[in-house]
Amino acid sequence: MLLQAAKQIGAGLATSGLAGAGVGVGVVFASLVIGTSRNPNLKDELFKIAILGFALTEAIALFALMFAFLILFS
Amino acid sequence: MFNTTINLKSAFQSPLEQFEILPLFKTLGLTITNETVILSLVFIFIFLFFKASFNQNDNSLYVIPHRWQVIIEIIYKMILAMVTDNISGDKGQFFFPLVFTLFFFIVSLNLIGLVPYSFTLTSHLIVTFSLSTAIFIGINIISFRLNGIKFFSLFFPAGTSLALGLLLVPVEIMSYVFRPISLGIRLFANMMAGHTLLKVFAGFAWTLMGCSGILFFTHFVPLLVLLPLIGLELGVALIQAFVFSVLTCIYLNDGINLH
Repeated sequence: MLLQAAKQIGAGLATSGLAGAGVGVGVVFASLVIGTSRNPNLKDELFKIAILGFALTEAIALFALMFAFLILFS
Repeated sequence: MFNTTINLKSAFQSPLEQFEILPLFKTLGLTITNETVILSLVFIFIFLFFKASFNQNDNSLYVIPHRWQVIIEIIYKMILAMVTDNISGDKGQFFFPLVFTLFFFIVSLNLIGLVPYSFTLTSHLIVTFSLSTAIFIGINIISFRLNGIKFFSLFFPAGTSLALGLLLVPVEIMSYVFRPISLGIRLFANMMAGHTLLKVFAGFAWTLMGCSGILFFTHFVPLLVLLPLIGLELGVALIQAFVFSVLTCIYLNDGINLH
């Protein structure tokens, strides 16, 4: 019972890593907006890079999620 | 897999249940699992996808493409632009078939996983990890063949003093060694987390369906949320395949041109 409770608390704490990833994704798209507004000609090129940056940042968030699952189901 | 008995309380099991590898039957000492079935389906699909675009009489491509061939040409152009943008120099063209095959393989595995009651191969760490490790070993061999002993200059950033280099070289080696690990984990974690999310939301709807009275109609809310989520998953499946091949290109560029 105590182990179960500790697992639940640990999994909950593991998701707090998502805060940083949220900031990261926000920064990526904020920079995209700023970059596009400064030079609209580069829109397509910047969007490609932003998608790559978004995927790389999002993966970090998913590491936290993976650890939550590892704690819960192992 | 198929829950035919309507037992509402026990029907919603762990959301990770969908990733189980189930042995279907055994022949000649081989166990045919659902993983094997999906993998063979993907190979058949890829073969037919390209076969259908060829001229059926003499296996050549049309000069004026029909619709099917246009789809393949769009993907071809996209990957070619990706390879030439990311790998500088004319050696990049040489690796186009590798990147094209890689992209097509991963995108097919990701998309076949979105079919209900299907199975996502890329949500298994062993599949993505063996792919990324094979690529990593291959890039090392290519880089050694091309650059010889100069390959080790990859770990020493240009324009650093010797004192700073002592600090930076271990860091660079660490980041180099972690490349295949992060490449494999990224694809695996994205696919697994996405499919688990879909299952969790479906579970909400399923549990609410068991309620009586006016509460029964609230199960439409999670189902409505599920709809955009499936669209998101479709995007993630495409983006992750794209990111995997872009990163392969970037690592290849590092290996070929050093920096």
